[in-house]
Amino acid sequence: MLSYTLRRLLLLIPMGIGIVVVTFGLMLLVPGDPAAVLLGQEASAEAVASLRRSLGLDNPWYVQLWDYFTGLLRGDMGVSIFQNQAVSAIIWSRLGATIELAVAALVVATVIGVALGVLAAMRQGSWIDTGAMLFAQLGVSMPVYWLGLLLMLFFAVQLGWLPSIGRGAPLTEAFADLFRGNVATLQHALTYLLLPALALAANSAAVISRLVRASMLEVLREDFVRTARAKGLRPPRVVWRHALRNALLPVLSVVGVRFGTLLGGAVLTETIFAWPGLGQLTIAAISQRDLPLIQGLVLTFALLFALVNLVVDLLYAVVDPRIRLD
Amino acid sequence: MTLRSTPTRSRLLAATTAIALAFGATAPASAETLAQLTVGTDVDAGTLDPRLARDTTAFRVADLVYSGLVQLTPDLEPVPELAESWDSPDPQTIIFTLREGLTFSDGAPLTSEDVVFTFETILDPDFNAPQRALYMPIDSIEALDERRVQFNLSMPFAPLLSYLDIGIVPKALVESGHDIALNPVGAGPMRLASWDRGSRIVLEANPNFWGDAPVVERVTMQIIGNNTARAQALEAGDLDLIQSPLAPQDISRLSRDDRFGNAIMSGLGVTYLNFNANDPLLADPAMRRAFAMLVDQETIVNDIYEGVDTIANGVILPSSWAFSDEIAQPTFDIEGAVSAFAELGWTDSTGDGFLDRDGERLSVTLATHSEDPNRVQSVEYLQAIFTMAGIDAQVRLSDWPSFSTGYVQQSEHQIALLGWLNIVDPDRMLFGQLTTDGPLNWGGYSNPEVDAALQEGRASLDQEARAAAYQTAAAIIAEEVPYYIISFQGFQLFYNADLPIEVTASPRGYLRGVVLPD
Repeated sequence: MLSYTLRRLLLLIPMGIGIVVVTFGLMLLVPGDPAAVLLGQEASAEAVASLRRSLGLDNPWYVQLWDYFTGLLRGDMGVSIFQNQAVSAIIWSRLGATIELAVAALVVATVIGVALGVLAAMRQGSWIDTGAMLFAQLGVSMPVYWLGLLLMLFFAVQLGWLPSIGRGAPLTEAFADLFRGNVATLQHALTYLLLPALALAANSAAVISRLVRASMLEVLREDFVRTARAKGLRPPRVVWRHALRNALLPVLSVVGVRFGTLLGGAVLTETIFAWPGLGQLTIAAISQRDLPLIQGLVLTFALLFALVNLVVDLLYAVVDPRIRLD
Repeated sequence: MTLRSTPTRSRLLAATTAIALAFGATAPASAETLAQLTVGTDVDAGTLDPRLARDTTAFRVADLVYSGLVQLTPDLEPVPELAESWDSPDPQTIIFTLREGLTFSDGAPLTSEDVVFTFETILDPDFNAPQRALYMPIDSIEALDERRVQFNLSMPFAPLLSYLDIGIVPKALVESGHDIALNPVGAGPMRLASWDRGSRIVLEANPNFWGDAPVVERVTMQIIGNNTARAQALEAGDLDLIQSPLAPQDISRLSRDDRFGNAIMSGLGVTYLNFNANDPLLADPAMRRAFAMLVDQETIVNDIYEGVDTIANGVILPSSWAFSDEIAQPTFDIEGAVSAFAELGWTDSTGDGFLDRDGERLSVTLATHSEDPNRVQSVEYLQAIFTMAGIDAQVRLSDWPSFSTGYVQQSEHQIALLGWLNIVDPDRMLFGQLTTDGPLNWGGYSNPEVDAALQEGRASLDQEARAAAYQTAAAIIAEEVPYYIISFQGFQLFYNADLPIEVTASPRGYLRGVVLPD
């Protein structure tokens, strides 16, 4: 497994190079000059040309690309055109918020999705099944920004139960406080996290619930389930201990892929809930054509996605002893 | 506009009574102060260096953190700020005298050298100040002594005073390498307490402010990119104040809600159609006029924008001293437009429902940017009207950078819908935009009479003569339609009605009318 992990980690290098080249190419093709955006509508052509020179944007594309790669080798992701700060520092300051939101959404999606999928499979054809699948249909079809606004309207504006915007203490700090016996910080952090995590999780919960239902229906018809029942095991034990474990393998692979969707969804969710993560930053960077920042963000998202999928692949071998990684 | 609210709730604020005695002197008997004001804003500031500011948040924060030579009142009148007075010995010279004992928020003295440094850096082409063009008529700046500074102009330039509210920065600190873009130090009523990039900017009262102490101890600018989410956060009680840009639908709802006070007034922006006079189809003013007759301002302003803007009659804002209601642009008249096209040779000779001339169909592209759904809807509505009139109208939508810098500014458009903001003086929206070869004249419009009138408008120091010159230019522009102004943009501010302080709104969204005593 170690050599497999190393091989997969080494594969990240060509992947990173490919991503940088593709992003760079796309940004060259998209119209819109960062220097002109930076200076605004009232700037003269001379001022824009002068800024292009000072930003190095008038260099040929291959020089710009080469400079970027050599910078990366030194651990330098460049400087944001608009914020005039190191891209790595900007991304690092916001990475925690996005990971926290994506992981929270993944947990919420998995818990809701698995629970609904199992219930629907156990009561196939009943109103529970219909209700669960209706939820799944809604979850898949509702855009995340729309759901976000609705959740905010209901829970923050109408009921006043939860804050509408912002972020509490980072969860790492909140858990550290918890171990020191202070629950309040965690409670406070969770009140801010709940609505964005729910909005972001809905789509994934829907997909997971449909998958669990289909997978459970298949497993519940297997011989070993019949045997377990014949042995007189109580139905909940048969379902949750025996059937679900076997039904979860395809779910695991989906959870890995969903992480990418969650990162994409975070871009919109963060904008709605003023969550200070990479998503908000991405929207701003694209609309400003802040090329170094866009490059850094795309690279970060891609690495996160690749690493999560690597972890999922490694987990396969843990969950299913039949799978060997070498 | 000043609105007084009554304190009834103290949830978000710690309303305190200011101590009435200061060093034996009697201060006002009691004045209510607010411990914390949370303001929703649409974007994070790109920089907090006023010389490089380019977004609404940067301008609004810079206004609180820095002070300029003058301050513009909500009515856009320049009044003394750091400069206690100024004098013009001749039309090309202005001498400002600074107040005595001015300091920056770090306690360092503010002198005429700081003023010279601020404007010399803005004028330095390598500094890339976005607003450099506004100050180009400044030939040189001299510090006459510690408190007097002289501006030498290359020509008489009347709008300059309106632009001199830009914040003065500390020369010594900047030259020592301190980055005021991230850690600003100014002479405004507030100073930076913290800046959580992309999330919030927290300001606190500046104890060294030269004027009356602020009535708000801390201001948090909370960044919420989505307009509707920002409105809902106000409704949820998580914000105390929000202001333009806001969605028309949210404005209607909030203005009916008595939990919120509001200030709804004329803004400093216009939404307009830019006709490309370089395009062979639109080179003839008569052709542009015929297209302009197809613009249904009534529906766009009252239905699409739900009446938050007002119908425009020309290029001069109604809040300006130069405004005249006698200026008249073409008004909506489909039949009149079809007749005008017919006079120009465009008729439906083939019976296919489209106008044509010499075998060529009358086709035009309407463009705008995709970020603003109301502009998109306006363009789509215009497309429908154009089609009814027999024009093969296409719509081109793209994001703002592609649309502005990659399309309109390259003069590739035919008819583009966009806007101008911050029109504190008519010159700011007209001179660079509509004089022959002006740097912002993307449609290539040229008329010597307009050139002369706009030149006179900026050179004359007599406001009546200026107004007459701008009205002359506006009348020709309304006739020849290089610009068709659809609407004068409105400005809206909503605040928690329980705030125990006075809220005086400024059409630029500046907050001094909120944080400073009246």
